[in-house]
Amino acid sequence: MKTTSARPGVHASSGQGVGSRARGFLLNYGMIVAVGLLLVFFSVASPYFLSVSNFLDILRAVSILGIVAIGVTLTVVVNGFDASVGATTGLAVMLATSLMVIWRLQWYAAIPIAFGAGLVVGLLNTLLVVRLRIPDLLGTLGTLYLISGLQLALTGGDAVYRGMTDPWSAEHVLTRGQIQPEFLWLGQGRLFAFGSFEGVPVPVLILALVAVGFHIYLNHTRYGRLLYAVGGNAEAARLAGVNVDRYRAWAYLLSALLATLGGLVLAARIGTGAVHAGDTYLLDGVSATYFGFAVLGARRPNVFGTILGAVFVGVMLNGLTMLNMPWYLQDVVKGLVLMASLGLSFYLSPRSR
Amino acid sequence: MSSLKATGVGKSFPGVVALDAVSFEVRGGTIHALVGANGAGKSTLIKLLSGVYTDFTGRIEVDDRPVRFSSPADALRLGIEVVHQEVDSALIPTLSVAENLAIETLAEPTSGVWLNRRQLRADADAALERVGLEVDVRWNVDRLSLHEKQLLLIARAVSRNVRYLILDEPTASLSTPEVERLFAVLRDVRARGVGVIYISHRLGELADLVDEITVLRNGRVGGSFPKSTPLSDVVAAMFGQSLDDIYPPRMARKPGPVLLDVVGLRREPDVAPASFIVRRGEILGVAGLVGSGKSELLRLLAGADRAEAGSIRVDGTAVTLRQPADAVRAGIYLVPEERRRQGLWLERPLRENISLSFLPAVSAWGWLVQRARELKLTTQAIERVGLTPPDPEQAVQYLSGGNQQKAVIGRWLGGHPRVLLFDEPTQGIDLGARRDLFHIVQQVAEQAAVIYASSDLDEVLAIADRVLVMRGGVIVGDVRAEPAARRTILELATGVAPALEGFPV
Repeated sequence: MKTTSARPGVHASSGQGVGSRARGFLLNYGMIVAVGLLLVFFSVASPYFLSVSNFLDILRAVSILGIVAIGVTLTVVVNGFDASVGATTGLAVMLATSLMVIWRLQWYAAIPIAFGAGLVVGLLNTLLVVRLRIPDLLGTLGTLYLISGLQLALTGGDAVYRGMTDPWSAEHVLTRGQIQPEFLWLGQGRLFAFGSFEGVPVPVLILALVAVGFHIYLNHTRYGRLLYAVGGNAEAARLAGVNVDRYRAWAYLLSALLATLGGLVLAARIGTGAVHAGDTYLLDGVSATYFGFAVLGARRPNVFGTILGAVFVGVMLNGLTMLNMPWYLQDVVKGLVLMASLGLSFYLSPRSR
Repeated sequence: MSSLKATGVGKSFPGVVALDAVSFEVRGGTIHALVGANGAGKSTLIKLLSGVYTDFTGRIEVDDRPVRFSSPADALRLGIEVVHQEVDSALIPTLSVAENLAIETLAEPTSGVWLNRRQLRADADAALERVGLEVDVRWNVDRLSLHEKQLLLIARAVSRNVRYLILDEPTASLSTPEVERLFAVLRDVRARGVGVIYISHRLGELADLVDEITVLRNGRVGGSFPKSTPLSDVVAAMFGQSLDDIYPPRMARKPGPVLLDVVGLRREPDVAPASFIVRRGEILGVAGLVGSGKSELLRLLAGADRAEAGSIRVDGTAVTLRQPADAVRAGIYLVPEERRRQGLWLERPLRENISLSFLPAVSAWGWLVQRARELKLTTQAIERVGLTPPDPEQAVQYLSGGNQQKAVIGRWLGGHPRVLLFDEPTQGIDLGARRDLFHIVQQVAEQAAVIYASSDLDEVLAIADRVLVMRGGVIVGDVRAEPAARRTILELATGVAPALEGFPV
């Protein structure tokens, strides 16, 4: 029986009563409450936790993840998946640093070239997934392998650092380029310092810009609406006159460009070209996207939820580190948190038949 | 006595009484039709009888013994089986016909480890023979047509010794020969002593099949009738209106200049080269059996599939259709056959569904969506098509079939329709909504060219000015729509002199 008057909107799930209202509340606000509880817990447990500078540290720690995760969110919005984001992040790290160190390019040349490479990766994914219609996971998995390999090929497998041996020189001369301070500022700089306040880290500002921009893009522009429509029912969207392939292509292009941006900030932050530095961002980005799925009753991937998911993981790891949790347990914690969060979210969701 | 009986059953959902003290009985060896508008409570009643809903008031008895189901499995154990409209939900597409037939046995923990293929196949052949289904039992089920899957499900029920068989709108998308075949099988099932509950929107087909008709209306029994009852009485019980009122009077239309001119449009093997015109202010019906190419022709016109050749002119201008967006730009809009899958964004509100095609019109600078303008567009559409409830934020999945269809049409009215294509628009919507729809279609036709494809010939004749008849992908006739043309159209559509008077085509 179809009910026309019932209005299961954002808050209520199917059914009624206190139990279901509690369930709806948990589903919509669970993540926010969890972040709040974590903050309270760590503030009580560690005297160093509750401070502006520690919060900025946490935000700086999650800023790169946040940028990459927004890209993942975009592909999940169109009901796709980009498995190559971590590798793309890594490619940007290696490419930007080797351009400056080995080929002695200026930072303002290295950055556009890195974005160009990101664009090529995005186009490749578009070709595979949108044009050739390879299932998204498989197509982007191919890209993942390809660019994981290519980033190594840039240096013959070595990390990039000042004064390294030039891998392309037969005489093993030392390189004379350096990662320039202007570039490093992207990852290490701070802005808006006054008095004893040391300023907001640049990566946090970049994340804020990207997050606000894409939040507006997804929620208030017709492009965002159509991205969601393509993900919600591609066939209906196509018959309604939406150029479905174009929007799916956009999602993959933006995903690759955001991964590149994340990689540039990462390279600037660590100041060297570490091999495979981007690898963790794929899984973390996917986790953050799905963490944020249900936030505020969105029931779909959304920028705010994704950022909250990233912050949640950041707070957790920062707090536990302060409580002297060994570093090697980080992934264990992430795994448990992901299971608990997704388990709760799927278990509480109204059952679909 | 062998019977499945509900006495005074009631069931409520938040804000809605779905069933209110309904009594209903099907006896073994009879076919009992259950009819009613969308939302009348048919599905709810079935879910009570088959153990899907376990929380209800009133009593259910099987063979005069009260029962209390706690799951569909309980009902199945007593031989109560449902064949749903969505047959795929009950089948596993990647397993063979034989394996699907034996799925229960295979799932039993006590059955052996090894598959006895020969035994499986022999059992399956025997089961299929009982329903006259001639397919290779080694085929995967996904090779079967909808109709074949239905028969397969009935065969499975019979081989499980079904005692009460419930069919939910089995003929909704069947062609006439398929309907006939299904009816033959059902008569045979009845002869085996099985009690059949038969749910349908198509009243015309009931007279030949059923022994009894019960009408549900707003969750109550609107009346119970023996088989010989005139159709108009049944309709009156359903809606409180007579049969004449199903199709509202035609509005006077004056066809204007040619708006759509199609020459040699083809996509083999579905559509052989098709040429025709439609005028402004004209409704062109397209009639034919399921699989005759009606739907495919409309999809070509809407750019949903690409034509291999042919030209389309709208208002004198040639248009090239590579994808639906091209057609939309040219003012050719399609109301697709399967609205839930092809027309709507189910979990999102009406507002987003209605504005979907014309977002630039409600956006500042063409990209920043403005809520107020979007709401205004939605409210206007809601008013024009008479959507209820008139709530722009209602998720469309909770609307009735008729209102969902109105949502799809309402979306297109936000643009400038020049050619509006309707593909089986009344499928699965009740007669009340059908009336509304007829009214809307006629209104649209005042300013546009309308093409209206339907398997229900009476419907096409009631609304169209002219009828294209299709058979096997070929346009075999272009006939003036008048009651006298019925016979001619049937002959053209089937290729044989019609012996099936009274059936919808």
